[in-house]
Amino acid sequence: MLAYILRRILLLALVLFGVSVLIFGILMTFSPERRAATFVTSPQQVEDIPKIIKQFGLDEPFYIQYFRWVREVAKGNMGWSLVASRPVTEAFWTYFPITLEMNLFAAPIVILFGIWLGTISGIHKDTWIDHSSRIMAIVGWSLPTFLFALVMLMIFYGYFDLFSPGILSDRLNMFIHDNPGKFYRYTKLYTMDGILNGRFDITLDALAHLVLPVMTYVIVVVALNMRVMRSGMIEELSKDYVITARAKGADKRTVNLKHARRNALLPVITVAGQLLALSMEGSIAVEVVFNRHGVGWWLAESATQLDMPVLMCICLFMGLVFVATNLTLDILYAYIDPRIRLT
Amino acid sequence: MKRRLSFIFILFLLIFVFHADAQIKSPDTYVLAYYRTVQTIDPGASYDVAGSCKIWNLYETLVFFDGPSTDKFVPLLATKVPTLKNGGISPDGKTYTFTIRKGVKFHEGGELTAEDVVYSFKRNMILDPDGGPMWMVLEALTGHGSTREKETGKIIEGVFEKIDKAIEAKGDQVILHLPKPYPPLMSILCYASSSILDKEWAISKGCWDGDINNAAKYNNPKPGSEPLQKIANGTGAYRLKLWEPAKELALERFEGYWGPKPKIKTAIFKYVKEWSTRKLMLQNADADRVVVDTTYVPEVRAMKGLKLFEVPQLNFTAGMFCRRINPTGNTNIGSGKLDGNGIPADFFSDINVRKAFYHAFDRETYKKDVFHGQVVAPTSPLIQGLPYHKNVAVYEFDLKKAAEYMKKAWDGQVWEKGFKMVVTYNTGNVMREAAAKMLAENIMSLNPKFQIEIRNVEWKDYVVQVRQFQYPIFLSGWGADYADPHNFVRPFMHSEGYYGKYMALKNEEIDKLCDEGIQTVDPKKREKVYGRLQQIWYEDAIGIPLYQQVIVRAYRDYVKGYVPNPMFTDDNEIVKQLRKE
Repeated sequence: MLAYILRRILLLALVLFGVSVLIFGILMTFSPERRAATFVTSPQQVEDIPKIIKQFGLDEPFYIQYFRWVREVAKGNMGWSLVASRPVTEAFWTYFPITLEMNLFAAPIVILFGIWLGTISGIHKDTWIDHSSRIMAIVGWSLPTFLFALVMLMIFYGYFDLFSPGILSDRLNMFIHDNPGKFYRYTKLYTMDGILNGRFDITLDALAHLVLPVMTYVIVVVALNMRVMRSGMIEELSKDYVITARAKGADKRTVNLKHARRNALLPVITVAGQLLALSMEGSIAVEVVFNRHGVGWWLAESATQLDMPVLMCICLFMGLVFVATNLTLDILYAYIDPRIRLT
Repeated sequence: MKRRLSFIFILFLLIFVFHADAQIKSPDTYVLAYYRTVQTIDPGASYDVAGSCKIWNLYETLVFFDGPSTDKFVPLLATKVPTLKNGGISPDGKTYTFTIRKGVKFHEGGELTAEDVVYSFKRNMILDPDGGPMWMVLEALTGHGSTREKETGKIIEGVFEKIDKAIEAKGDQVILHLPKPYPPLMSILCYASSSILDKEWAISKGCWDGDINNAAKYNNPKPGSEPLQKIANGTGAYRLKLWEPAKELALERFEGYWGPKPKIKTAIFKYVKEWSTRKLMLQNADADRVVVDTTYVPEVRAMKGLKLFEVPQLNFTAGMFCRRINPTGNTNIGSGKLDGNGIPADFFSDINVRKAFYHAFDRETYKKDVFHGQVVAPTSPLIQGLPYHKNVAVYEFDLKKAAEYMKKAWDGQVWEKGFKMVVTYNTGNVMREAAAKMLAENIMSLNPKFQIEIRNVEWKDYVVQVRQFQYPIFLSGWGADYADPHNFVRPFMHSEGYYGKYMALKNEEIDKLCDEGIQTVDPKKREKVYGRLQQIWYEDAIGIPLYQQVIVRAYRDYVKGYVPNPMFTDDNEIVKQLRKE
């Protein structure tokens, strides 16, 4: 097992190298002028494009630009983000906690609610419970996230003046800024830091700001998990060992939840793991509509403005997340299904 | 199950109760929701409306615009506005003398001196980053539009010595020495790049050390590495409280401000990209004003509890004809020949083609349908609100005349063979999209052999393509750096001007007039020069004037004190003049 993990970690370096060359190569297909235009926001500045090309060496060959970037990264300098108006690394550690905080609340709900709903649906196949949960899942999955987020915002915030967009209310945000000695940002997650500092009003305020984004995200994403779980359950419940168990008089609850559900979990773990990994990149629509400036919002802005250092950083980060997720999933498989051996 | 449900219910109730409490709106806090990011708040580097707005609140200039006026000024850090009459401007127009106000404090405690003023101008000119605003002051005070050569990027020989000699302090006076008269100077001195810094503080933060021999070291820093990128210490009515780039920027009233005490204690500028979110924030009074794009104006008009201001802007957008298109690999001109499947590279060099396009543009319908009448339909780049503006003739919408000119064009070949081309606009700009579509439809209705395809291109790709002479017609605009005709006629008409160059416009009379206009301070001479230039725009059918924007600023009705000024775009807010009642 240890050798397997070490081998996978070594493979990570190769993956990151491949990802960086690929993304850098793709970005190089934009002309030097176009890449220099990233620094331009008005026609008045356009005349400086040739000077910007020279200043950053944007017209040099691919390998020179790539190695210059690698050299800087090795020094810990990921570059400057025009979108965030600060160094990429600093910006990342500002935006990532915002995304992470939402995921910490959304992911368990997505996984547990998906498993629960899928189990019930599978057990009560072709009954009204199954039909209504499937309809709900299909509607949730098919809804454009952006539109759904807007609807949620309009109903709750627009109509009832509840759950305002943003991360924290202005009053508390200003309090935190004015009292750096009284409120430490231990984790950079407001919900946690509120508890750690004994300021439960901040935790509650942060939670209030999380309600709509989490609800939106869960409703949209839970469908996939639920459907995989449902199919798994249906398949398992039709297997011989379930019939045998029932014939032997085992009670329904034990057969469904102990025998069948455990076996149906394997594909769900794969899907949930991938969903979790993807969610680290942030949900663009949710973050934009609810004005939560996390990684998703940053990625969307950077992609439209061709903010190269940011795109490189997020791609590398996602490469890292996916390798780590796959490794964790492999270990989890072995734990859940003893027949699987990692060599 | 019941217990679980009760727990969830209580949790929601708690959040609700808490939230209701958090909704108390503060009477001394002002919130503006907008969507343009601020790159820097260094006065020597910031060259976008989002940044300059913040700088105007943090720092101050020697003089500033007088209320709604763009050509009348009031003293700020100077005690009076220099004029020819009061001797502040020398008779030859090359020397300006300012007496510096006494008793003015910087946020960090320093006191303003004439030496600070001299240092600030020199430091900002020395900084001169690529894509920055310093070309304006440099052009006026040294005669160079940059400290570096255009193509090579090398420092121009002797430029720092010129900067050093351009400005000096004598007692409590500051004297500017111009190489030649420069009429827009007063307007340039109001711009954020003319903000005054505290010399000692700036040096302590890593700005130019005050020795002109070391100037090159401090020239053209990379974006983000200018020392004052995220810190500020001005004499403005507000000090920087907090700035989380691309999220929010908060200002706090400076209690040691020399002028009247502002009513608003805290101002928060929030970056909110999504319009629906901004709109709901305004509706729920979580924002006191939001930036409203033209498309959404009908929505704010329908909202209650707002006070709307319609503010004409000093900007001009036109459809411009490129007379020497680059045919290499250019898919916008089809075959590149006048064979019915394309257009030749010099298609628009024939004035008949230009006039035909001009006559095919329905200005009235455009104004009514696209802008709901809320726009100024300009006649030339010298727009309303600028000195020497006059309404010149336009080619009225007349498809018969358009057809006549098309028949004359290229000795009748255009009409006989037809043509095919692509007209582009920048993605997301609905005003330009509508103009492109209207023009294309009207032209195609003249003759079935005329084919125009409309495409949209992301703005940054668009400017790159325009620079490479790829577009037969490009729809683009210009916002004022300062309120002087020179800032508009040169870019749009001079052969070396930004758009003039990319239209391949070459007219010796225009070039001569543009140069004459900037070199004289005599209003009568200038009026004659700019009058003629406006006439040439019409006679030569240089481009189709599309619109001069009128923005709508949507405030909650309890916000008072706003004074509209065409120089300020909707990102701008001079907070000290506002109050909530």
